[in-house]
Amino acid sequence: MRDAYIIGAGQTEFGAMPGESYRSLFTAAVDHALDSVPAGIDTDAVDEAVVGSLGVGGRQIGLSGPAVTEHAGLDGIPSTRVENACAASGYAVRQAVQAVRSGMADVVLAGGVEVMTDMSGDAAKYWLGVSGETEWERLTGTTFAGVYAQMASAYFDRYEATPEHLSKIAVKNHANGAKNPNAHLGFECSLDDATSAPAVADPLNLYHCCPTSDGAAAVLVASEEVVDEYSDDPIRVAGVGAASERVGLFERDTYTGIDSSTMAAATAYERAGIEPADLDFAEVHDCFAIAELLAYEDLGFCERGEAHELVEAGATALDGDLPVNASGD
Amino acid sequence: MTDDVSASEPGIAAIGAYTPRLRVDAAAFEEAWGRFDAAGVQAKAVPEADEDALTMGVAAAQRALDAAGRDGEAIAHLAFATTTPPMAEEDLTPRLASVLGAPADAATRTLTGSTRAGAQALAGALDAGPWGRPAEQADSIGLVVVADSPRGAPDSEIEHAAGAGATAVVLAPDGAGTVVDRAAHVESAPGSRFRGAGDAETTGLGITQYDREAFTTALGGAADSLDADLSGVDAAAVQSPDGKLPYRAAGALGVDTETIAAGETVSHLGDTGAASAFLGAASAFDDGAERVLLAAYGSGAGANAFVVDGAVPVSAALSGEDQLSYAEYLRRRGEITTGEPEGGGAYVSVPAWQRSTPQRHRLVAGRCPDCCALNFPPGGACRDCGGRPDAYERVELPGQGTVEAVTTIAQGGAPPEFVEQQSRSGPFLSAVVALDGPDGGGVSVPTQLLGDAEAVEIGTRVEATIRRIYEQEGVIRYGFKMQPVGRRR
Repeated sequence: MRDAYIIGAGQTEFGAMPGESYRSLFTAAVDHALDSVPAGIDTDAVDEAVVGSLGVGGRQIGLSGPAVTEHAGLDGIPSTRVENACAASGYAVRQAVQAVRSGMADVVLAGGVEVMTDMSGDAAKYWLGVSGETEWERLTGTTFAGVYAQMASAYFDRYEATPEHLSKIAVKNHANGAKNPNAHLGFECSLDDATSAPAVADPLNLYHCCPTSDGAAAVLVASEEVVDEYSDDPIRVAGVGAASERVGLFERDTYTGIDSSTMAAATAYERAGIEPADLDFAEVHDCFAIAELLAYEDLGFCERGEAHELVEAGATALDGDLPVNASGD
Repeated sequence: MTDDVSASEPGIAAIGAYTPRLRVDAAAFEEAWGRFDAAGVQAKAVPEADEDALTMGVAAAQRALDAAGRDGEAIAHLAFATTTPPMAEEDLTPRLASVLGAPADAATRTLTGSTRAGAQALAGALDAGPWGRPAEQADSIGLVVVADSPRGAPDSEIEHAAGAGATAVVLAPDGAGTVVDRAAHVESAPGSRFRGAGDAETTGLGITQYDREAFTTALGGAADSLDADLSGVDAAAVQSPDGKLPYRAAGALGVDTETIAAGETVSHLGDTGAASAFLGAASAFDDGAERVLLAAYGSGAGANAFVVDGAVPVSAALSGEDQLSYAEYLRRRGEITTGEPEGGGAYVSVPAWQRSTPQRHRLVAGRCPDCCALNFPPGGACRDCGGRPDAYERVELPGQGTVEAVTTIAQGGAPPEFVEQQSRSGPFLSAVVALDGPDGGGVSVPTQLLGDAEAVEIGTRVEATIRRIYEQEGVIRYGFKMQPVGRRR
């Protein structure tokens, strides 16, 4: 199968943007992605679009793919929304790579968009809970914060890590975010800030939890047949992996890791022909600081139970051996 | 007129009594109002936000069945009585039957409308016995569940007095307590205590002399119709809308005030409505009484009287555990909370919920016929072996388990459908619990945990209880929650 390459990428600022709509945000990200292509690209060259979104707010829960791509001027092409909660855009990129590698398309736009701040806190919490298992887990009064907190409780019970390690992750990511002009929370925080914050869902406090944000991002994926028309220095997609597991935490084999992450990473490494040690940096899902800690282990950066040692050693800081979430996420 | 009491009339095999663990005392009201209007009440029981007459009734019924050494399958007649049914219209007794595991062909009765509903339920159950199919009558039981949590306007005597509690009476052919006599009396006398259609708060005209006369006349009429000699009763459990009125009826009932004091709970539980006289009887039998007068009154007016002889086994939780301030009391009552906010709740349709009631009400798991793993809820691919069995073997779990993961959802962290619960009761615990299998093994379930965060850690043993989970589309959803073993009252 032919290779797929990233030829452009763009994103909006992240934060509360009351002047923007989900369509205008997506369009801005698409424009940034198009503008970033070294040799330039015309929208006519885009064969297909895949849009990741949970659809927070329910504003255009049906046909939200075409609703954003038409706004960006991408008329007529196949346009699909992919929904897999926080993994939605990751799956959108995978779908784009799949379309390119299969030969069905030469240039595919993959993106993600969410508007989460134009509603009441209660409504936002409704949406933050819709991806938990609805009939049982959600009806114990949890949102995602609660479920990740339960995972943290089991992890801390089993291993040596403590909530302070989560705070250290928060300090690191805030420091990185302060350098990122697109970051929602562009300020540094102290360890004291991050340990003394009010509880959200014990053992997670406010600094262990991401805020809700508005924003969009997009990449352009091109086939090896056409990539030279757009870039002299394209980035090859070496490997993509994806996996799934039980939706409800209570039905999973483990609460101290996310098996689908482990499986997806193993597939990606195998296809790329690399080991975790070969990585130069990583961007991982960090909705809650415990998610980053678990990711270190699920993605093979360390052994089970040793993630806190990477934090202690500063190994995942910007100047460490393997910077994680240099964007500040 | 004395009701016919046949020689074969079943007896009371056991009584279960439950009161919520929360208490608020007279001093808290005095501090807030400068006065407390419920005469003779020192403290009263207050339901948690996820408790109501049905859940309190379940707790009392489970205690009664335990004390009688019987289980729900033996129930042939099930009556539920309350002046505060959680739904104004809809038959709630089938849900009670479901939670208790009563057979689908059990006769069910729901009685409401006045504080003598419980007494009417008991009389009706006795009238209807022996219950069940003729061949099974010796093993069949009747269960009368009486639960109440009256409400009045915050500044009213009725609200100041309003307590909460439940009692369940197991009736069986060989019951230790014999109902040696019973009678009823009615007398048209409206206005003492009433609630208009659609109203949430009970009120009364407060015409002291009139109310007292209606009360004593109806109760006295019932007592006069008894053949049994009341001079020998150890305790008289008399309807107690406050702590004074029952004593006003001493003369009409032909008992002394000490006998009434031996059968009262109003001073520390408050006015428990339809459950009032029943809680008094439970308390008296629990204290060793062997001949008890149970005298219930309902405005309108009518009264029922029963004389019960024998040492009736009692399992009762009548003491308070946690004291509330008046502000906390108002929160629990929902007086200063605003209800579910806009934003939407997890949508579980009523048909979907109904399909899950064996799990919610009785912890019915499924055993995979291929790998023997327990699945909860059962259905689809086995969570252990991944196979797709044609059917899971039905396994009712014993209801105990071990905490595997737990968090406290802090104030402000609940999704909209749990905001009102949190506003009323504060932060709550949400956990994953590994439920024990009936013979080894286990299966994990998500659940809210009752109690303080300090009392729970990973590895804590917990057990199931029935509470309100949430309400959607106007339909209350009941199901299990869990609490640390030993916390159950």
